[in-house]
Amino acid sequence: MSRHIDHEAEATDRVMFGFWVYLMTDLLMFAILFAVYAVLHGNTLGGETGRDLFSLPLALQETLLLLTSSFTCGIAMIAARQRKKAQTLLWFGITFALGLAFLGLELYEFAEFIHEGHTMQTNAFLSSFFVLVGTHGLHITSGLLWMGVTLIYVMKRGLNDHLVRKLAMLSLFWHFLDIVWIFIFTTVYLRAFV
Amino acid sequence: MSRSSVHSPHGPENEHKTMQSYVVGFILSLIFTFIPYYMVVNEVVSGTALLATILGFAVVQMIIQVVFFLHLGRGPKPFYNIVFLVFTVVAILVVVGGSVVIMHNLHYNKTIPDQTKSLINDEGIYQIEGTLTGACRGQHDNHQVTIKDGKVSPLYTAAKQCDTLTFINEDDGTRKISFGQHENHGSYAGNTEIEVKKGRNKTITLSETGAYQFHDHLHHETAGVFTVTK
Amino acid sequence: MREFLLGKLDGHALPHEWFTIAGSIAFIAMMLATILVITRLKKWKWLWSEWLTSVDPKKIGIMYFIAGGFMLARGGLDAVMIWLQQAFSSGDSHGYLSADHFQQVFTAHGNIMVFFVAMAFIFGLINYIVPLQIGARDLASPFLNTLGFWLYIAGVVMVNMFFLLGGEYAATGWLAVAPLSGPEFSTGVGVDYWIWSLQISGIGTTLGAINFIMTILRMRAPGMSLWKMPPFTWGSLCSMVMAVTVFPLLTATLFLMFFDRYFGTHFFTTTGGGDPMMYTNLIWMWGHPEVYILMLPAFGVFTEVVSTFSRKAVAFYKTNVIGMIGVSSFALSVWLHHFFTMGASANVNAFFGVMTIFIAIPTAVVFFTWIATMYKGRIKFDTPMLWFLGFVAIFTIGGLSGVILGIPPADFQLHNSLFLVAHFHSNVIGGVLFGIFCGITYWFPKFTGIKLNERIGRQAFWCWVIGFCMSFIPMYILGLMGAPRRLDHYDASTGWQPLFVMMLIGGIIIAIGLALQIAQIIASFIQKNRLRDATGDPWDGRTLEWSVASPPPFYNFTVIPKVNSRDAFWDMKQAGDHKPEYEDIHIPKNTAAGIYISIFAFFIGFGFVWHINWLAVVSFIGILIVFIVRAFDEHPEYTLTASEVKELEAARTKQAKAERRHNPTNDRDEDMGLWELIKVIVTFGFGLARKTLTRGKA
Repeated sequence: MSRHIDHEAEATDRVMFGFWVYLMTDLLMFAILFAVYAVLHGNTLGGETGRDLFSLPLALQETLLLLTSSFTCGIAMIAARQRKKAQTLLWFGITFALGLAFLGLELYEFAEFIHEGHTMQTNAFLSSFFVLVGTHGLHITSGLLWMGVTLIYVMKRGLNDHLVRKLAMLSLFWHFLDIVWIFIFTTVYLRAFV
Repeated sequence: MSRSSVHSPHGPENEHKTMQSYVVGFILSLIFTFIPYYMVVNEVVSGTALLATILGFAVVQMIIQVVFFLHLGRGPKPFYNIVFLVFTVVAILVVVGGSVVIMHNLHYNKTIPDQTKSLINDEGIYQIEGTLTGACRGQHDNHQVTIKDGKVSPLYTAAKQCDTLTFINEDDGTRKISFGQHENHGSYAGNTEIEVKKGRNKTITLSETGAYQFHDHLHHETAGVFTVTK
Repeated sequence: MREFLLGKLDGHALPHEWFTIAGSIAFIAMMLATILVITRLKKWKWLWSEWLTSVDPKKIGIMYFIAGGFMLARGGLDAVMIWLQQAFSSGDSHGYLSADHFQQVFTAHGNIMVFFVAMAFIFGLINYIVPLQIGARDLASPFLNTLGFWLYIAGVVMVNMFFLLGGEYAATGWLAVAPLSGPEFSTGVGVDYWIWSLQISGIGTTLGAINFIMTILRMRAPGMSLWKMPPFTWGSLCSMVMAVTVFPLLTATLFLMFFDRYFGTHFFTTTGGGDPMMYTNLIWMWGHPEVYILMLPAFGVFTEVVSTFSRKAVAFYKTNVIGMIGVSSFALSVWLHHFFTMGASANVNAFFGVMTIFIAIPTAVVFFTWIATMYKGRIKFDTPMLWFLGFVAIFTIGGLSGVILGIPPADFQLHNSLFLVAHFHSNVIGGVLFGIFCGITYWFPKFTGIKLNERIGRQAFWCWVIGFCMSFIPMYILGLMGAPRRLDHYDASTGWQPLFVMMLIGGIIIAIGLALQIAQIIASFIQKNRLRDATGDPWDGRTLEWSVASPPPFYNFTVIPKVNSRDAFWDMKQAGDHKPEYEDIHIPKNTAAGIYISIFAFFIGFGFVWHINWLAVVSFIGILIVFIVRAFDEHPEYTLTASEVKELEAARTKQAKAERRHNPTNDRDEDMGLWELIKVIVTFGFGLARKTLTRGKA
């Protein structure tokens, strides 16, 4: 029996490590998008620049939402490790809501731009903006999807080792997305006003 | 981080510590979000200094979150996680920094349309689906233009597309060969200015058809003409 | 409605040119033949449960070899087409290929050889050998492994799909440099096929690489520290670390290119503020390290082979490993040498030129450790060792010509010429392909339990080396004479034709070499009783993979070995046997999830190629569902109890003893020759024909 636990623990250790390496590959994918944005963000063809388009308060709101969700996600993980099901569901629920709010704000911002005629076909600056921020948004969406599905399974099966491992991976992913957002906030939004 | 995140028998004390680290990380992150925001809104400093400062704050906040949220280094076997993180950060610096430096350098030397022309020519793909790309198909004759005592000979060169043209400088000074008129410089096939040091020569591929003037940018009376036909 | 359902797909997409019709017929005929044979033999269930859904890295490795072998033939056919065109298309003759078709052929040749041949063989070798070398029973994530393999297969199907639908492949060169691959020039579906075949197989590569890193860093046998790892495992680790670093860059770049083509964004276009040079910059960040990703496992193979056949431990083992680490650490700092002539300033060019030349130093260090290993060794010149020696000769030529190209002023003269093409073929054929052949010959007894025929193997080797020299040394000369690459026609006055004809002859000799290799495998199976490796250790090897039977049982090791030194198995042999203590073994269950996900991934690509949005969306949802179902399956393993293991082992030992009594000969000069093989095949054919005829009469 002790051997079995050993085997499980080793598997968890491996999976967490593999997931960490995956996160690194994802970071490198973002690196390309950041590089493209850094090179192309001036190519507006005389159109509106980031300074004319972006709203700093909105970006700050998004940042705070995501940062708080990263924090609540951490608290949720503490509860999950102690196998406190109700608390886990509550805190992940809050995380989910915050993430959804973040996504809502981002979509609102995109919709505004597109409504004003600033689409990603307009120029290279907007292409790289939409793709960089949009890719982050897609990651958030998949994180929310994953959170939703895992939570449904938690409700059905309770907090077993397998699901806690899934949640641990999810929380890594979520913290990681917040770190990527710090750089989007800085190099896309704040930088436009420098 | 790793095994501890699922299995290890966390005591209440341990959980308390973890909780503490999340709270500390959260507060620090808030601070490091607001400071750069405030600095940008009020333009406390400006230009490159501000950019460097806010990037610095972003990096510090990243480190804070890696330490307090991801708890890197606290698991039982964190070594490779750290190695991979460091490795990735270096790779990202190379990718982003390298791209910015290289692209800036390229644009400084050549405009994007000129680069595109050289690029297509260098790929050696002269047509796609019947549309000509502007690249040459194979290589053909070589023509020579000698510059001696400020005179160009021959003054007029007639060439076929994809021939090559060699500028030979037999004078003492460096020649900077430009295209078009002296007041109104143009470019030819991706070349804006060709520098030929004394006693040296430079060759260009005549991939574009038409009639072109060229002259020495420093001595614009040293000039000549070449035509390229299909 | 029609546009919604079928996108751009219509009757024009059906094959209507000679090569697409021929390709389609070949494609469909091969499919039908396979289906027919399997149905006749009633092997569908066996194929599905024993192979296709298997998560055993050994079986996946073999499947990689088979797929890679097919693609080698496919890419080789492209090569012959290029040689033929260039040999005859001079002066008034314009050869048999149109310019556009010729471009598609060399584009496909490049993609297939790098992505679907070299990568497949390298992944096959790593899959099979690495777990055995580190004393592991499986990979860290068996599921990721099948997924990676099947995504690769989806890429293979995608890259050949244009025969059936669309009729054109990218005509842009193997990296599809913008803006040539953008919507301005390439309006057809060729580039889309290019994007999606690389995208799908590239994601598979990333997943596979993550898996191997997990395996190597977390699943080594107790006692095997990093400095006790066998060299092949080290080479694979370096290579896979590079793969996880640069393949995401490829994925992102391909997505941006896809956005330009599909959604009309302006990343790499010449209008709208896009920057085509950015594409070149990004793609080479992946493109250059990719070469090292292929090369380092091959280096590992050579180190193993040199050590085994010199009957010595690897000399300067740590130096050798540090050399490989050195190559991989500098891999991401040389990419600009692919566009020295694009307008970078002298300083930038100088930096990347120096880095390029610098990377020759760790490579040379590795070479010197091989020479030191051979020094005073009792060298046995079996075929693996011959491949190694061929590699040393050819790779050195390629490496030194690379140093020449790395000097920016020389590059201004040599870029876009055949000299460059000859350079990288020296490295990729002489280095990677010879490394793969060397590895396959070396480990073939482990894969199948049968040693490869030596006589025909040697003949194949000499065909490859002579063919290579005849084909590529003229190419160097042509390059220096000014012949540009990608040349579908040249003037008679250039006087290049004799050299191009010589290249074609060399190509034919290489093709004969490839045919001989197939003959070699057939001859070995015909003589399988004679060539049977009953010991599991046919070469007197030093590393752990030789400590298990050939082929190994599905659980690899009955007992996980304890490792005390670098040459773990060599030490065990010196120490002698001891009785094993059996234990429970966890075995992952087979899964078809990888196949389903890959089918959906294929249809995502297909949907985007033809602008059938609903198909892409539906397929994406399909992937999500399969993934969720798989992710929340809490019992992906079953347990083999100690007593079951004991029974299996007893049966195996008994069989091995019986086989050893046959005592296969070790006199390799009496292996079947080519004539004998032909005689056997002809006799067999006559026998089969007679049987069928007499049965028909009765």
